[in-house]
Amino acid sequence: MKWNSRTRGALVCFFFALLFSVFSWRLVYLQMVMHRHYSELAAEKNVGRDRIPAERGAIYDCGSEILAQNVPVATVIADATLMNNAGALIPILADQLHLPPDEIARKINTGRPYIVLKREVPETEARALQAALTTAKLRGIRYERGTKRVYPNGSMLCHVVGFTDFHLKGIQGVEASMDHYLRGEDGYRYFERDARGREIVLYRGLEHAPRNGYQVHLTIDLHLQSIVEDELDAAMREYRPAKATIILMRPQTGEILALANRPNFDLNLRSEAKPEQMKNRAIIDMMEPGSVFKIVTAAAALNESKVGLETMIFCENGVWNIGGRPLHDHGRKGYGDLSVQDILVHSSNIGAAKMACMLGEMKFYEYIRRFGFGDRSGVELPGEIRGVIHPPRSWSKISITRMPMGQEVGVTPLQMISAMSTIANGGKLVQPRIVKSIVDEKGKIISQLKPTVVRQVVSPRTAAEVTYALRGVVSKRGTAAEAAVPGYVISGKTGTAQKAAPGGGYEKDKYIVSFSGFLPSENPAFVGLVVLDDAHTKEPYLNYGGTVAGPIFARVAEQAARYLDLEPHEEIGTPATTAGRVALTNGRR
Amino acid sequence: MNQRRRRKPLNPIDAPALARWIVISVFAAVTGLSYVYLTVQLHRQGVQRRALEQELEATRTQNEDARVQIAALTSRAALQRRLKEGYLQLVPISEQNIVRLNTPVRLHEESEVRSVANRGGDK
Repeated sequence: MKWNSRTRGALVCFFFALLFSVFSWRLVYLQMVMHRHYSELAAEKNVGRDRIPAERGAIYDCGSEILAQNVPVATVIADATLMNNAGALIPILADQLHLPPDEIARKINTGRPYIVLKREVPETEARALQAALTTAKLRGIRYERGTKRVYPNGSMLCHVVGFTDFHLKGIQGVEASMDHYLRGEDGYRYFERDARGREIVLYRGLEHAPRNGYQVHLTIDLHLQSIVEDELDAAMREYRPAKATIILMRPQTGEILALANRPNFDLNLRSEAKPEQMKNRAIIDMMEPGSVFKIVTAAAALNESKVGLETMIFCENGVWNIGGRPLHDHGRKGYGDLSVQDILVHSSNIGAAKMACMLGEMKFYEYIRRFGFGDRSGVELPGEIRGVIHPPRSWSKISITRMPMGQEVGVTPLQMISAMSTIANGGKLVQPRIVKSIVDEKGKIISQLKPTVVRQVVSPRTAAEVTYALRGVVSKRGTAAEAAVPGYVISGKTGTAQKAAPGGGYEKDKYIVSFSGFLPSENPAFVGLVVLDDAHTKEPYLNYGGTVAGPIFARVAEQAARYLDLEPHEEIGTPATTAGRVALTNGRR
Repeated sequence: MNQRRRRKPLNPIDAPALARWIVISVFAAVTGLSYVYLTVQLHRQGVQRRALEQELEATRTQNEDARVQIAALTSRAALQRRLKEGYLQLVPISEQNIVRLNTPVRLHEESEVRSVANRGGDK
């Protein structure tokens, strides 16, 4: 078959048309049908998502003194695949990062693309290293910028402030309980890279700014905290107790003004701290409160009108056999008839037990719970325990005689001070709190926490009567004469409890001594609690709440009263003791 | 007459058309070059912006670093340490040098004693 020129021309045209149709179809296929697939591939290769980290909020005391803040740091990363001269790099790295050259060489010789050489390198050191490497024209080192949490006051307030982990997540204290507010929200940015991996700013994509964390302001007053910490340190030196706690609280609002425990630790060196040092004993340590608990017994009996302040109760001359077990009073001779007021002043166990018997098991239990024992207080600190208050069905025959004097109950120091605050606050139980307000970075208040009255535990009249009776405790005839602060009328109660042994029973010659009181007795500015666990006194007979914890309270209260500018309402007389005189003279120990 | 007819150009240049095409070409070239120039400028400014951002970040980091150091050096713990070392000293303020802005709670009786605060002189 022989094609003429016209047919051949048509065939060629058809061939080209077909060819271009194939190309066109391929183009349409790639550009339209496979558009999404190839866009994603391109994006995967060239487009990145950069995280813009939010700055963690700072923590302040009530006077805006910084308690926790951030410092910029860098993690130095080596990429062994990009190094041009590893031999020259090692001495520079060793010199700038203060690391042994052998260790750096060992890491680099693995040949990996991601080798962490050192974390939390201060920004100044990272910049110096960068400059040194640029001068020497060395490659293969990069930096991951971040922040580290620092605590300017070191160990002060360590159990309250708490700390974060490496990822800046709060794991203890306010850092943990307020983590939701402190951490903020990270932002992000989409960007495109060129062939050398540099960002093409022109093609910068969607950007979402980070929201920095909120600032948390605490109710803590760092000056009062400093007083408490100093006195606690002095007590640790003098009495060498296993544990100790001091709390100051404003009774009307429940604001915790100072809180310190021993043993403690430095927040900036937390990796070196032992678990025992990290416990916030004010909220997670349970103990038998001892005679401080008699305020609950007396308040309940007065509120139920079972007794009046002047009601006389026979205290069995020191020994009361009940439930087959003798109950003793402190002192050789014990007491005969004592008024309710004097039962508190002399801290009579028998008198307190008889008041509880008048109330009955159910009523007494009800009042214990109404004072907040057996419940978490709700303070903004993690790990708070409820304590142990057994219901009457679990009580033994003698429980009703032992619980009024603070045995067979497990309470936290915070619960103890809350109970004393209830008396100081006209019978109202106010929820303790440690967070004052939450503020954004521009200073706008996000949340301001207001005082929460949990319940009216006893009538204002009962609270006033107990307050009056407790004044006698801090007098020459009471158990806490050494807790007196010249110039001020103080109401308070001592506690001396034998330490419960882990296997049951009590440990010999080991005591938990405490004192809780408020000042001034009328319209108190603060309530204080001092607890020392297993204090070592020169003579065993001196190991009492009134002789150990009382003077510590006096020193703290005297300095706190000066700081708060509380005017004395009582003529400054001769202090009851030498300790008191020392406190009056120089405000120290 | 014949000579004049011979001189008449056979392919006369159409000047207006040529000028039009030259203008169009120049315009197209300038537009193209401008586009390239502006694109390069944009890239260059992007690089400058990036450099400025890095500089700003470095300055901010330095500022943050300084702020942290100031906070550490002026913290209560640091000041107390310096006080103990004798680097700082506190001078007691006498009562007559105190001006009270907020009047404290009134005393019940005129005869009652004054505040115990600032009795630094009693030793």
